[in-house]
Amino acid sequence: MSNESLIDTLVGELRPVKRQKPLRHAIWLLGLAVVELAAFLALGTMRPDIGSALGTAAFWWKLGSLGILAIAGTLVALQSFDPSRSPRQGLRRWTALAVIALLVGWIIDIGSAGVQALVARLSWQMGLECLVTMTALSIPPLVALGILMRSGASTDGSGSALAVGAGSATWGAFVFAFHCPSDDPFYIVVWYSLSCAIVVGLARLVLPRVARW
Amino acid sequence: MSGGENEWGRLMAAAQEGQAAPYRRLLDELRQWLTRFYARRLPPAFVDDAVQDTLIAIHEKRHTYDPERPFKPWLVAVARYKWIDRLRAMGRSATEELPEEIAVDDHESAVTSSIVLTELLGELKPAQAEAIRLVKIEGYSVEEASARTGQSGSLIKVNIHRGLARLAAMVQKQADVE
Repeated sequence: MSNESLIDTLVGELRPVKRQKPLRHAIWLLGLAVVELAAFLALGTMRPDIGSALGTAAFWWKLGSLGILAIAGTLVALQSFDPSRSPRQGLRRWTALAVIALLVGWIIDIGSAGVQALVARLSWQMGLECLVTMTALSIPPLVALGILMRSGASTDGSGSALAVGAGSATWGAFVFAFHCPSDDPFYIVVWYSLSCAIVVGLARLVLPRVARW
Repeated sequence: MSGGENEWGRLMAAAQEGQAAPYRRLLDELRQWLTRFYARRLPPAFVDDAVQDTLIAIHEKRHTYDPERPFKPWLVAVARYKWIDRLRAMGRSATEELPEEIAVDDHESAVTSSIVLTELLGELKPAQAEAIRLVKIEGYSVEEASARTGQSGSLIKVNIHRGLARLAAMVQKQADVE
């Protein structure tokens, strides 16, 4: 096909389009987050000791860190769906935030009373349940952001996929934090990081392929 | 560019609303710009396909352009993405020979025209650059390139594949190579 015929075809197929608006997408995702959290808690999953947990630094560290990381990751992902914006700088900032969150957790951990064996603190059975539930809760945002990535025009598929994975994983972990009875920083760092790694790895593996254009 | 960068942005904004005449003018002007862009970055045999791929991508992703921002960075980002795509595709089809019409007679103009690509080849290992230059730019067959360089046929293919993958990764990392 000659360039002229191609241009004729493209002009013939021209239809009005709705412009991509990251702010509109962000509001839509916020709605999804609220619906997911409400649906999860409606299943009776709220931790029974939430009243006392609200008075501990570790609970707020967990919730605050995950909320900030989820918002930051999702915003980096949304911005990267514009072809002229790279997600790399945003990913570096997200990583720096994650490191700060881990350091704060470590400081809180130092202040906690008693020295328990690390293996016992991992609570393997509960940890594995946490891992599965947290990963499952990351799937709705992963699919939603994947759809937005596909309809957008990311020119850095790997970077966008990492940002989508980071945002989705911490989003799922944030929702799960309302259920998880453990506020032990060591437990949280190990199991939550593992779940994040699975979701980020899945996003990195799948999304660059399905969002090619 | 006939109407200036902002003019292209205005034409694209009109196209987003479904206006055919501004869209046709925009695509005509972009076709010329893209032909120049890829002529400096790809062997002549791949320029037309890259221009067409990019025009289709611009059409499919036109909703991602924000008229409140300059048009050129958006256009360059799309063109670079398709350039990287084309380099990767060339690497995957390492054994594919160029069409007859651009083969050996036109060596000099082929090398001169894809000047950015030639400059980038300088960043590769000499054996990789030589294999790509001979087969993908100058149009020699793998066997001919093998005879000229002393590399085996399979090594020529491996060097083309790895060299083009490395080139694509280098371009991805750079803001732009003018």
